[in-house]
Amino acid sequence: MWRAALKGLFAKKLRLLLTAASIVLGVGFVAGTYVLTDTMARAFDQLFATVASDTDVVVRAASAFEVTGQGAGGDGTSGRRPIPASVLETVRAVQGVAEARPSVQGYAQLVDPRTGEAIGGFGPPTIGLSWDPGSTVLTLREGRAPQGPGEVVVDAGTARAHDLRVGQEVRVITTGGPQRFEIVGIAGFGETDNLAGATLALFELRTAQELFDRVGRYDEIAVDAAEGVSASELRARIQARLPEGVEAVTSTTVAAENADAFKEALGFFRTALLVFAGISLFVGSFIIFNTFSIITAQRTRELALLRALGATRRQVTASVLLEAVVVGLAASVVGVAAGVGIAAGLRALLGAFGVDLPGTALRVLPRTVLVSVAVGSAVTLMGSLLPARRAARVAPVEALRDRSEQPTGGGMRRRLLAGTALTAVGLAVLLFGLFGGSGSAAELVGAGAALTFLGVAALSPIVARPAALVLGRPLRALGVPGRLGQENAMRNPRRTAATAAALMVGLALVSMVSILSASLKASFTAALEETLRADLTVTTSSFQPFSPEVAERIRALPEVAAVAEFRQGLFRFRGEALLVTAVDPSTIERVAALDLREGSVASLAQGRVLVSADAARERGISLGDRLTLTFPGTGPEPLVVGGLHGEDRLVGDWVVSLATYERLYPEQLDTFVLLKGAEGVSPRALQAAVERAVADFPSLDVQDQAAFREKQAGFVDQLLNLVTVLLLLAVVIALVGIANTLGLSILERTREIGLLRAIGMTRRQLRSAVRWEAVIIAVFGALLGLVVGLGFGVALQRALAGEGLGELAIPAGRLVVSVVLAGLAGVVAAVGPARRAARLDVLRAIAHE
Amino acid sequence: MGAVDASGGVAARAEELTKVYGEGHAAVRALDGVTVAFERARFTAIMGPSGSGKSTLLHCLAGLDTPTSGRVFLGDVDLTELSERQLTLLRREKVGFVFQAFNLIPTLSAAENITLPLDIAGRRVDRAWFDAVVDTVGLRDRLSHRPAELSGGEQQRVAGARALVARPEIVYADEPTGNLDSRSGAELLAFLRSAVDEHGQTIVMVTHDPVAASHADRIVFLADGRVVDEMREPTTERVLDRLKALEA
Repeated sequence: MWRAALKGLFAKKLRLLLTAASIVLGVGFVAGTYVLTDTMARAFDQLFATVASDTDVVVRAASAFEVTGQGAGGDGTSGRRPIPASVLETVRAVQGVAEARPSVQGYAQLVDPRTGEAIGGFGPPTIGLSWDPGSTVLTLREGRAPQGPGEVVVDAGTARAHDLRVGQEVRVITTGGPQRFEIVGIAGFGETDNLAGATLALFELRTAQELFDRVGRYDEIAVDAAEGVSASELRARIQARLPEGVEAVTSTTVAAENADAFKEALGFFRTALLVFAGISLFVGSFIIFNTFSIITAQRTRELALLRALGATRRQVTASVLLEAVVVGLAASVVGVAAGVGIAAGLRALLGAFGVDLPGTALRVLPRTVLVSVAVGSAVTLMGSLLPARRAARVAPVEALRDRSEQPTGGGMRRRLLAGTALTAVGLAVLLFGLFGGSGSAAELVGAGAALTFLGVAALSPIVARPAALVLGRPLRALGVPGRLGQENAMRNPRRTAATAAALMVGLALVSMVSILSASLKASFTAALEETLRADLTVTTSSFQPFSPEVAERIRALPEVAAVAEFRQGLFRFRGEALLVTAVDPSTIERVAALDLREGSVASLAQGRVLVSADAARERGISLGDRLTLTFPGTGPEPLVVGGLHGEDRLVGDWVVSLATYERLYPEQLDTFVLLKGAEGVSPRALQAAVERAVADFPSLDVQDQAAFREKQAGFVDQLLNLVTVLLLLAVVIALVGIANTLGLSILERTREIGLLRAIGMTRRQLRSAVRWEAVIIAVFGALLGLVVGLGFGVALQRALAGEGLGELAIPAGRLVVSVVLAGLAGVVAAVGPARRAARLDVLRAIAHE
Repeated sequence: MGAVDASGGVAARAEELTKVYGEGHAAVRALDGVTVAFERARFTAIMGPSGSGKSTLLHCLAGLDTPTSGRVFLGDVDLTELSERQLTLLRREKVGFVFQAFNLIPTLSAAENITLPLDIAGRRVDRAWFDAVVDTVGLRDRLSHRPAELSGGEQQRVAGARALVARPEIVYADEPTGNLDSRSGAELLAFLRSAVDEHGQTIVMVTHDPVAASHADRIVFLADGRVVDEMREPTTERVLDRLKALEA
């Protein structure tokens, strides 16, 4: 029995290959994701360990909570306050301290001397740091250490990427504004050129203190232990002497903190990729289901013969499942290999979207192989369960019957019931996830969507025939090939529908994402129109914060009537990490409508906080409440609610004054500046004046409302493109499925094709018939996807209406284009099968059993 | 005989036709220098034991198979000089086919199957002729049915109607009654006979059934890839005797 199953399998290598392809791609994605993220995790572990090896104990200001990712000021710094310089003497006096090396850091962005563009800013931080002559980690590759004002050392990675050389003059933008420096040296982290893409500008300690507003203060002190003193022992000794608010930690703790923070971010990234991999595998299971359905139908006589010869139903089922397991295992193993390639590809893809990842050797863990193979085999097995059961129902007597046409109409009633029930349950779960306020909304939405897809897939054979009838109508005018294409697409609705359903999933998600991004853009535009009163906005290309000097310069312009700068920072409230925006209470209302519901904007000047009406309602906050907010630098702070505002898109849910912000955060950087022109100044003159004033800040964009909107739209589009690319794999798998189905159908229709050729059908006509069949299947799948995607998109928009997605926009053009593209993709999928059909030897086809 | 003048000359012929399958020791000589002509407006049967090469001869005559050497003519056209595409066009313009089984496209109705060669060629259907053919085969009330809804005999009659509707120069039939019961077979043969007698159609039929062959005007006997004999005005008994002699 087993031998029969395996022999049947290997007899049809092409079939095996095509079936496996869908699983290979999905498993490859899973394996690729693990390989990529593991590789990154190791690279960063090594990096942090290397940095930690530089010293034994680190002395720094205590922080109320650890801020992950970018610093509380959003500028690549830790968000901790500086410590007084006197601490250095205290530390040096501790017994067992061999050396204590102070350092300061802040925001410093280099300007490429050739292009005049600011370097970095999107993704990795741009860090300014004092040069530590005692460091064994960050060492000079070329030139010498910075020794005074006007000198800078840059990291080797940035130097290489932007062709910076020793002796060259560069502009560096810091909090204090742009200044010119001479590059006196180039440094690297041992073998590594830079810190995961972060740009480093290194200054002599005193220069750095002045640049970063740290005169008389340090950010950190690195302490080396004397011979025979352990790091933990030393830490305890130092801690005992430190003033309140300053802490000593071992460098291994710091490395672990950094690694944890990074791994948390990496975890999100991994989950996101695995979601897309899961979608691919889900689509792959449709292909498996369809392929196994077709081949068991084609093998009816063979299976019946086995039954006639005494095989039990269980054995027949088992033989089909065995085939599935072998295909699944083989495909998964190939998939893992492909995953390593995909990991390399993904790294390049993310690079193309501006997310640079460190380059080290790819890392393949046993867990990656185990999970990938298990998932791939399981998906294949699940996909083949129904076909295997159907195979077992073949009666032995079928062996004696003539091969007849596939049954087409059977079980439609049951299908209608099951499909409707499945779809209803799926939608219910989805909607509950969206509107039920459950804690695991994402999981519910995902499960609901998957069930809905299965339900629609179960229902789709009912509409496949009428759909093909309508879609194929125009083809009838194209003569016999068009008509045959249509008839063939209609002859087995179950097969057509199952093939189309795989494409449906991809198209539904693409249309849903298109609708969401269009709605996001529309909502943003609407919000800006309501809120924004400013004539011009000043931002960096990636909302990287910039120096307050910019606002000062603009304020000094006679063409400008009002300037409002915005700063942002993280804080913690009742366990949640939240974002606060700081504004100037005297100018904010001239550039933006805050739509105050209660209280007043003026209360900001008394050190109060404004909370958005929505956030207040969710948390049961009302006007005049005294809230305790915890800030990374200063710890818990009591703040009184001075007002509730309705506008939360521009300023967010939490607003304080600039003065309050200065008290709470160590770093003063603006995220954006809004301004209003003086009476009688033309928009053009205003723009020109502002651009001139900030000309030496090359990272800044000065834009009017329309340009600002467009830039925002650009971000949304970039995200949309990234997601679409990731969903493309699901579409590709579906196309493999179309090719697979057509290939198997053509095999089945060998004699028919031979007859057509004998009575005078040309190869070209035959190819065209196969193509039209593929187009009908593809467009049918795309339309199903469109309908489901529209439903999902509208539901999501409604669910997120309160979160800044108030407007529903349906990008009709883009949706139509995606259906047309699906049709064209069908043509591509048909190339192989069409060629195979055209190449069939007429005589052999006629004689084909 | 019929109303149509039988002196129409030769519709198709083969000259020194040889077909070898395989190479070297494994080579099989399916046709070995066959020279034969088929008169216009006549019904010719090709008979012979299994492996005599009768099907190969039919395939070569119809442009479905390419001979190893020798020449094949349909009218004045030398098929061996035509490209694959030209052969395809020739088949659809000038040749009608009736195969033993699987003659119809399952997705098309009987009427659509009958006009298929014309539709493939993009030619207009001659309604009067279509009606005449359909009435001759007696399928008027079955035209909208799909092949699966027709009996075996009906299916073969549809195939016969299809072969005639494009008014081909010649109809090749490969064991057309092989899968039919004797009554259905007789009906189909009567239909083919009437096509020759009433419309001057040329038909060449391969068969191993002496009863079927006896409907023909002439029988060509093949053995071991050669023409070994022929018979005019055959009867079932004479054919049986001749076959016995051939196999002896």
